[in-house]
Amino acid sequence: MTEPRNALSKRVLDEYEAARASLPPGIVTPERRQEAIQALAARGLPTTRDENWRYTNLRSLEKARFAPIAQPVPPPAETELPGRLTGFARYTFVDGVFARELSSPQEQGGLMVRLMRGTHGSAGNQAPAGSQGSAKQQGSAAHAGSATVFNLPRALPALSSLPEARLALLNEAFATDGAVIHVSGTSAEPARVELLFIAVAGADVGASYPRVQVSLDAGSRLILVERHIGAGTGASFVNSSVSVDVGHGAHLTHYRLQQAGARATWFDTLSAVLAVDARYDLLAVNTGALSARSTTHVQMAGAGAELVLSMAALGDRQQVQDNFALVEHIAPRARTEQTFRGIASGRARVAFNGKIVVREAAAGTDSRQSLRGLLAGPEAEIDARPQLEIYTDDVRCSHGATAGKLDDNMLFYLLSRGLSPEVAQRLLKWAFLEDVVSKIDLPELRRQIEHALAGQMADAASLKELL
Amino acid sequence: MLKIDNLHVKVDGKEILKGLTLAVPTGEVHAVMGPNGSGKSTLANVLAGRPGYEITAGSVTFEGRDLLALAPEERAREGVFLGFQYPVEIPGVNNVYLLKAAMNAARKHRGLEEVDAFEFLTLVKEKMRLMRMDESMLSRGVNEGFSGGEKKRNEILQMLVLEPRLAILDETDSGLDIDALKIVAHGVNTLRSPERSLVLVTHYQRLLDYIVPDHVHVLVKGRIVRSGDKSLALELERRGYDWVTGEAA
Repeated sequence: MTEPRNALSKRVLDEYEAARASLPPGIVTPERRQEAIQALAARGLPTTRDENWRYTNLRSLEKARFAPIAQPVPPPAETELPGRLTGFARYTFVDGVFARELSSPQEQGGLMVRLMRGTHGSAGNQAPAGSQGSAKQQGSAAHAGSATVFNLPRALPALSSLPEARLALLNEAFATDGAVIHVSGTSAEPARVELLFIAVAGADVGASYPRVQVSLDAGSRLILVERHIGAGTGASFVNSSVSVDVGHGAHLTHYRLQQAGARATWFDTLSAVLAVDARYDLLAVNTGALSARSTTHVQMAGAGAELVLSMAALGDRQQVQDNFALVEHIAPRARTEQTFRGIASGRARVAFNGKIVVREAAAGTDSRQSLRGLLAGPEAEIDARPQLEIYTDDVRCSHGATAGKLDDNMLFYLLSRGLSPEVAQRLLKWAFLEDVVSKIDLPELRRQIEHALAGQMADAASLKELL
Repeated sequence: MLKIDNLHVKVDGKEILKGLTLAVPTGEVHAVMGPNGSGKSTLANVLAGRPGYEITAGSVTFEGRDLLALAPEERAREGVFLGFQYPVEIPGVNNVYLLKAAMNAARKHRGLEEVDAFEFLTLVKEKMRLMRMDESMLSRGVNEGFSGGEKKRNEILQMLVLEPRLAILDETDSGLDIDALKIVAHGVNTLRSPERSLVLVTHYQRLLDYIVPDHVHVLVKGRIVRSGDKSLALELERRGYDWVTGEAA
């Protein structure tokens, strides 16, 4: 037994010990849970003394209850959920557990989706590990509701050993359900899946642990929409973990929308590995939560892999939106394009820490970073921080980072056309996000996101007329 | 319509307008000409309400109201339009969004309903044809990637859509080739009416061949030093600004 690093780690351990017996064994094996909690105890939870955690609001961890929510809460009505996207299979999770009544699975060629637990409270019904191979009938697994340790068609990468990915260990230890998405074949149409995570219960009741594993076989394609929303007024504690494996020549388009409730604490860790010629379009829009931290770690493991990472983050009032992204170029000739646009209003703090590491063997790497922050309040804070570590000569790396206020000339131009200062400012903030929003290829989703952004920018009515 | 009386304006502590007096009655087109640095653009910007100009003395009334007491957006809604010398590019703000928002702001001010979407587009497209602008420009960012001439045509397009009571065009002719100048002038001329006044701020007489003014004023060192009819512009063209700057000194 490892000695916990501090009082907080001790509490995590204690809560784990207390909850251990009730944690469903099918989602993560008891051994892996034990390893994760030990590793976490040894490393300790992050503190603001950790270089890459200094912008996060970690006080929220002190108050959190780490054991998962034991009693399911009533899910919200279907009408409260975001509109369904045409052609997408939807899987909804309430407080981290699959909610069949709010889901609409759909058979699609080459797509296999498995829910690790199935329904609320049905942790039994064991099937032996490895009993379900990749030949499983498409789509049907979505209804299986079995608690199985999956024998994934491809080994998922070990959890990132990065200190920044520590909170994924917390998810590993406490996870109560999860979605496993596997795509094979080279169908002309990409598979389409939407994952909707709804946090309802407050942190005083317990934590919610969304968990997603995505793997794409060679040449396959998937469009994945992952949304996190809040229902009710609870101050939820959400800690999600997503692992992504994009195979040879496969293409994953991944939209991530963080629209957690206004009082929520939201942590998220995404680890992705890209194979030879794989392409990963990752577009995140973060507007929700009182305190949010998103950690992204992408490994360019295959030659010629391509990553387009775009992120928009909005903070207002007391919100903290902290984002850390590490892209590791391991194999040669891979390409990264990173765009960040953040707006901080009120007393909010919005941070993007974008680190790119180019390893010795990654000759011919091409990486571009464009980080821009907009200060829209006298007490707001923007931190846009590019970091480059290069261990080889043959690279093309460009980066730019700016943080500034709205352009006075643009503002005056709009006023001179009769727009009120409020509308003019909102319009310019809107325009500022264009580099990210314009990359959303699904018109339906784009409209939803635009409305969410307009809503976040308060007084939505004046902007909505423009949409 | 517009009365400027003994206007003194400082920029960065330096006095640029030094007692400018000018009256533009309703339905008239006035040209304000002057050499570089005479205060032409300062005048245009002060009338539109751009921040950074310190008014130390004098008054400006627009239809009997104190124009200087109004915020820039209120001036616009009351019907004052500034055609910018250097229109700014605003990527991400769609041209058509801006036009519609501007039009609705003015309509709301007058207690009118918002413009019907179909009527609005029909109107805008008609005015675009007049300005020989491609419809694809509507969905582009405001002035984004526009050439100098396109930007100026876009200014006039906005003016035609918004139908202001008083338009101040700041060096709208600068940077235009002769064809673009004719298009711009034609656009401006369609707006001339007995209810509307125009102030053309320009360095050269050339524009006035196409938009014939009722009165011409010469601005030198922050004051109107000479006023006359359109022949004054021709005389200026012939004799150069030295003719009047010499007198002003």
